[in-house]
Amino acid sequence: MNLAAHAPILAVAVPLLGAFALPLWAKLRPSLRDLWLVLVAGATAALTVLVAVQVYTVGIQVYTLGGAWPLDTLAPGGFPIRIVLAVDALSAFMGLITALVAVVGFAYAWRYLVEDEGKTLALTLGTLLWAGMLGMAFTGDLFNLFVFFEVTSIAACGLVGYRTWASRGPEAAFKTMVMYTVGGLFVLLAIALLYGEYGALNLAYLARQITGSVVDRIALALLLGGLLMKAGAVPLHMWAPDAYGEAPAQAVILLVANTQISLYALFRVLFTLYGGVADPAIGWLVVALGTLTLLVAALMAVVQMDLGRLVAFGAVSQIGYMLLGVGVGLTAIAARPAYGLVAIQGGIFHMLNDAVAIGLLFLAVGAVEKAAGNRNLANLGGLGHDLTWTTGFFLLGSLALAGIPPLNGFASKLMIYQSSFLLSPILSALAILASILLLAVFVKAFQGAFLGPKLSQPKPVPVPMLVAMGVLALGVLALGLFPELVVRHLVAPAADALWTGRDLYLRAVLGR
Amino acid sequence: MTLLTGHGFWNPLLWLAAAAGVTLLALVVWSRGRRDYTRGTDRELPFLSGEKMEGAHVGGGHLYWGFVEGLRPYVERLRALHSGLVNDYVGWLVVILAVAFLIVLVGG
Repeated sequence: MNLAAHAPILAVAVPLLGAFALPLWAKLRPSLRDLWLVLVAGATAALTVLVAVQVYTVGIQVYTLGGAWPLDTLAPGGFPIRIVLAVDALSAFMGLITALVAVVGFAYAWRYLVEDEGKTLALTLGTLLWAGMLGMAFTGDLFNLFVFFEVTSIAACGLVGYRTWASRGPEAAFKTMVMYTVGGLFVLLAIALLYGEYGALNLAYLARQITGSVVDRIALALLLGGLLMKAGAVPLHMWAPDAYGEAPAQAVILLVANTQISLYALFRVLFTLYGGVADPAIGWLVVALGTLTLLVAALMAVVQMDLGRLVAFGAVSQIGYMLLGVGVGLTAIAARPAYGLVAIQGGIFHMLNDAVAIGLLFLAVGAVEKAAGNRNLANLGGLGHDLTWTTGFFLLGSLALAGIPPLNGFASKLMIYQSSFLLSPILSALAILASILLLAVFVKAFQGAFLGPKLSQPKPVPVPMLVAMGVLALGVLALGLFPELVVRHLVAPAADALWTGRDLYLRAVLGR
Repeated sequence: MTLLTGHGFWNPLLWLAAAAGVTLLALVVWSRGRRDYTRGTDRELPFLSGEKMEGAHVGGGHLYWGFVEGLRPYVERLRALHSGLVNDYVGWLVVILAVAFLIVLVGG
């Protein structure tokens, strides 16, 4: 078997099937389940990297299910009726982000989750969520985008409501489930409209057919509503702080990656599916919602006293920066000025930076909760005396998220500030103001929780949790110190996939 | 190693070199300070509002009090929107959908 040719489907199938086998192994022995998880996670991460290497070195990877050959995207008659995976540089980039957070999350969960509290369930749902995210990133047709959208929704809601013994977890899961369901129905209705109009679900085929008719526009509005909701854009974000605040820490970093995958789907719809009938007004809508998101979430973070919810609002705020960056590029897609490409690069680079920095913060909050027994800033203090490593990790993540140089958040934010300034200086000023607010928020949180006299004796943080946080901390430093390498080799090809890669994508799938 | 950001550039290694220079300067200034300072005496204790308070901790809710109070009028309005009711959450989804319809059908 040519592993490289089949890698795109294996990267989705291995975690999907592996997840369902986890409870069976757990019935025999929990250590067998852990071993199986290591194998599944290792294989999935390796396959994701293999796909990315193929995409970055050879070009777009297309895989057809049910065909005699993976490249047979068209049925006899020249119609793309089969299920197709199409992985370009942006899809591969998103796959790498999910692999990073999933592997780190599982390593952290090893000693963070308690066996008697449904550890097997959390690991199963986490693996399913990873499979769903990879499916959303790699799929080349709209219906499977919806299917994987639902897979991620179900797994995410299960993880949010994981703490069934507390009332807030199931309540947050219920709210998230309602929002995901309504948003998912919007997406499904949009797909039905496009299918009714063109009789196809293949993304590349539809992209070539779409003319900007009234039905096309209605479908676009529905897709915007559903995907912006799942990405957590203000004012559709309100489920996010509830969900992030209640889910266990290793699940929250997967939920953050899940919102980024929804952003990816939004960008795929706007740049690839509707790229032929691009409308600057949509770009301005994305810019407006991005600016609103970064500012409102930062303001809400200022008054939070629960460390988990405080970081959750910080995470929502970062979605605003990504929307702003890519939205600026979308407004300028017709004229293609240089700043448009820089804006998209900044937005995409910020996805990686956010996954690493906010992931580090959520894991540190989980460590604080496990060690001190609560997350209320009014009751915490002096944890730095005992939790030295966790203190350092929280500080590093806070500074990175606030965009303090030379850490990783700074480089991507600088690209977004400069490019959005050229569209409108007000956008840039508001983005900088939100960063200042976040700095104040995290200084407050750090001082309140970690500095000052010792108020209680926290339990030690298990070593695997420290190692997982350490990996992300190294990521914060590496991405911060070598941003040019990352942008040149990983981010620029992903941004080009949106900026100029539409025709290449259509040709790769349709073959003409 | 230099990242071009459109109208500028960013080189973290240059920044680190500059930061090292500033740190060195600060150390030089510090080294020329008073030498009769002694550790472990009363001068190291926190001194709040005229009261000598050993072991005092400024909790998270008190830090940046003025800053937070200044922002409170804006934040309270936002907080009121975060009602925690799922009906309101779905309501906002409908509002944004209406805006999106308006933009794609009328504006586009």
